[in-house]
Amino acid sequence: MIKNINYWYISSLLVSLLVALPILTVFSSFFGSTSEYYFLLKNTFLINYISNTSIILFGVLSLTLIFGVLSAYFVSFYNFPGVNFFKWALILSFAVPAYIYAYSLTAFFENFGTLFTLLKWIFGEGDYNRYIPKFDGMMGAIISMSFSLFGYVYVLTRASFYYQSNNLIEVSKNLGFSAKESFFKIILPSARPAIVAGLSLVAMECVSDFGTVEFFSVSTLTTGIYNSWLSYDDLNTANQLSFILLLIILVLFFTENYSRGGAKYHQPSEGYKPIPKIDLHANKSLFPIIFCSSLFFLSFIFPTLQMAYWTFKFPKYFQDINLWSLNFNTLSLVIIASFTLLIFSFLINYGNRISKSKFLNYLSLFSISGYAIPGVILALAFITFFSWLSDFLTLSFGILSMKKIFIGSILGLVLAYFIRFYSLAFNGIKSNYLKINQSIDESSYLLGYTKLRTVRKIHLPYLKNSIMLIGILIAIEIIKELPITLILRPFNFDTFATKAYAYASQDLLEAAALPSLFLIFWAGLLIFITSKYILSEK
Amino acid sequence: MSNNFLDIQNTTFVASKLNKVLDFNLTIKNEGDIICLLGPSGIGKTTILRSIAGLQKIPKGSISLKGKMLSSDNEHIEPEKRNVALSFQDNSLFPHYTILDNINFGAKRNRNSKYNFAAKELIEVLHLQGLENKFPHQVSAGEAQRVSLARSLMSKPDLLLLDEPFSNIDESLKVELQLNIKKILKKNKITTIMVTHDSYEAFYMADYCGIILSQTMKQYDTPYNIHHYPNSIEVVNFLNKGILVDAKVLDDHSVEHKCLGIIKGDFVKKYPKGTAVKLLVQPEDLEHDDKSKLQLKIIDRKFRGTNFVYTLKTKNNDLIPVFVHSHHIHQHEVEENFGIKTPIYIDHLVCF
Repeated sequence: MIKNINYWYISSLLVSLLVALPILTVFSSFFGSTSEYYFLLKNTFLINYISNTSIILFGVLSLTLIFGVLSAYFVSFYNFPGVNFFKWALILSFAVPAYIYAYSLTAFFENFGTLFTLLKWIFGEGDYNRYIPKFDGMMGAIISMSFSLFGYVYVLTRASFYYQSNNLIEVSKNLGFSAKESFFKIILPSARPAIVAGLSLVAMECVSDFGTVEFFSVSTLTTGIYNSWLSYDDLNTANQLSFILLLIILVLFFTENYSRGGAKYHQPSEGYKPIPKIDLHANKSLFPIIFCSSLFFLSFIFPTLQMAYWTFKFPKYFQDINLWSLNFNTLSLVIIASFTLLIFSFLINYGNRISKSKFLNYLSLFSISGYAIPGVILALAFITFFSWLSDFLTLSFGILSMKKIFIGSILGLVLAYFIRFYSLAFNGIKSNYLKINQSIDESSYLLGYTKLRTVRKIHLPYLKNSIMLIGILIAIEIIKELPITLILRPFNFDTFATKAYAYASQDLLEAAALPSLFLIFWAGLLIFITSKYILSEK
Repeated sequence: MSNNFLDIQNTTFVASKLNKVLDFNLTIKNEGDIICLLGPSGIGKTTILRSIAGLQKIPKGSISLKGKMLSSDNEHIEPEKRNVALSFQDNSLFPHYTILDNINFGAKRNRNSKYNFAAKELIEVLHLQGLENKFPHQVSAGEAQRVSLARSLMSKPDLLLLDEPFSNIDESLKVELQLNIKKILKKNKITTIMVTHDSYEAFYMADYCGIILSQTMKQYDTPYNIHHYPNSIEVVNFLNKGILVDAKVLDDHSVEHKCLGIIKGDFVKKYPKGTAVKLLVQPEDLEHDDKSKLQLKIIDRKFRGTNFVYTLKTKNNDLIPVFVHSHHIHQHEVEENFGIKTPIYIDHLVCF
């Protein structure tokens, strides 16, 4: 028995340590050499990085707030033609990562781009380039991120409208409020935690973004971190910049957790009834229809069409790009990483459950911070740590360098994904596991079932669906993931994301179209499969 | 090792720092006995059951079943190896199996048991017809409790533990279920320990009752004896049926109360003449007699359908309950006077 407990403790401890690696590394290198940091602060670059990051953050938050809340409001409270379609179609925006949106945006509006071709086809030859607006730089980054991230606000706000409002509407009517009054005084304020939680997620993704700002050459903290590593080979500076970014993230992370804590009280009760929607006719339905269809068009159809158009306009890349190996690489990475994550998350959850140890529970709380850490920081901290460890072992024990084992290897990549997505997997399984009462386990033991049989006959059949869904959600994230893959991948190993990025950074957008299209296809397919779940919970 | 069926010796049960039962002894000699543990909420009754089932360890003492040691301070047999079934108070059904699957879950254990149940039979007896294909979240709390009971029975345990089995079941069904379950348990000689806070339920079901108060077992006896010969003031207060009044011992067969006068009967425990004692007066001890000189004022009347319970106030402010049948001759209003037949005779004079 005691042996058993030790085993769970050790495995929990190891996983927690692994997941905490990037934060520990960044913190220790920050305190390692303070002088350079002061030098860096004086450097105007830092001010520039921070102000650029802030401007983008502000722009993206404003746009996603409008897009997300308004669309959630329309589909939750009104009946208009197509409402059931928009309800789930709007989450397809999750399939288009911001950097791919950026490629489409540029491809469409650039000189002699798709819009130019369209205008020429309709109106004949002309000097259209002068009149076509250019969405690049900061503006382009804000637009790309807003369309690819507003889904977070939409999903969370809609869930909150959907689950809490019916009783509230009835109560407020009973108290004599008009429909409008009850919306502004009761429903919207009660959805505020959900809206704030959605916005904090957007903010975390936004400040972590690497692909989009890199593409538009906007200097932000993430690109600063990446460049100080790539161009100057200066991991120290990279880690110090990371420290600043982590502080920002920390604030957002706590905002999100805090708001989510508030949103928890709005879980549907047993007597939940769906909201009776208000029917909109003719003129009145025009605005919601236009708004929702534009949002759907701009966030999903537009980038997909643009990528499809270029894919087939430049068919020569079908030969240049080894599609089979791209598919194989991406999907096998996804499968290996998802399975590893699910298995470990399940085991650690099970350990916490049967040992009932408070210490283990705190430990796992600590270890879920990985999701908040931007991919760039995580990857560089990963390199920093394993270089240090390897050098240390070589110097102290004469062990051969093991950098190759972890850096630039599939193992390293899977480990880094593990760190990044562990909280997603762990919490997903945990929230479902908690639904199985302890007395259910006890009943099973009392009926003569051993612990292992209880897992097989009770736990696994019960958790089967949610484990599968969590696996798919992780898969979507890994398919879209760019910076970790870019930095840690083995030489000549490409996924859709890195291939698209590689072409785009060489100004070969037409070549980036094919991998981008595949990425959208796979992510979209997985979102389609899980849409019911994404819309109901998350 | 003794020949007793179940032996719990000097055992301490700990649920939390505040929630403990100390030095607990319980012996079940005969297989098939039904034992009820009575006590207020939060006293540790559930902890006792959980420890017997092996879900919790005991820091001190020993528990053995059929001569086999289950728990002691250095031994602990895992719950799945004990063949002790516990039916939980809250819903502990497996959420992703139907009611019928849940009931059958226990069936594979003990194929060669001395008795055998068919799921169908239990479903009928426990009034679960029509629920077979539903899922646990679709049934009511009371139904879930009965399913859990059926599941426990299906596993043919050596010892069945029931934690407030009728707490969520409505009054009319409760009586029938108590009857049916007692019949099943007795017919198949299933030794049962049941926890409840309802003394009527305990008195009906049990061969022996244990009263657990302030961390110990205060009294362990047959229901009849518990009612008529409670062994301490705490037990009287807990059962809350009669009241204690001040009286003085007159001789070997009578006491005197300031207002009620001389009360005759046999002492359960002898006291010297002149001792001031507290005498237990139960509702059924006094008889109604409108012609009596002893008239007491009614301050409350509870109508219970077949009977009334009047609360009468004596001159020295004792509040005495009197139980009468709900016949019109016994009908009186609050504030009226109520005659008590004198001299008063109580079979067993229980004094403290």
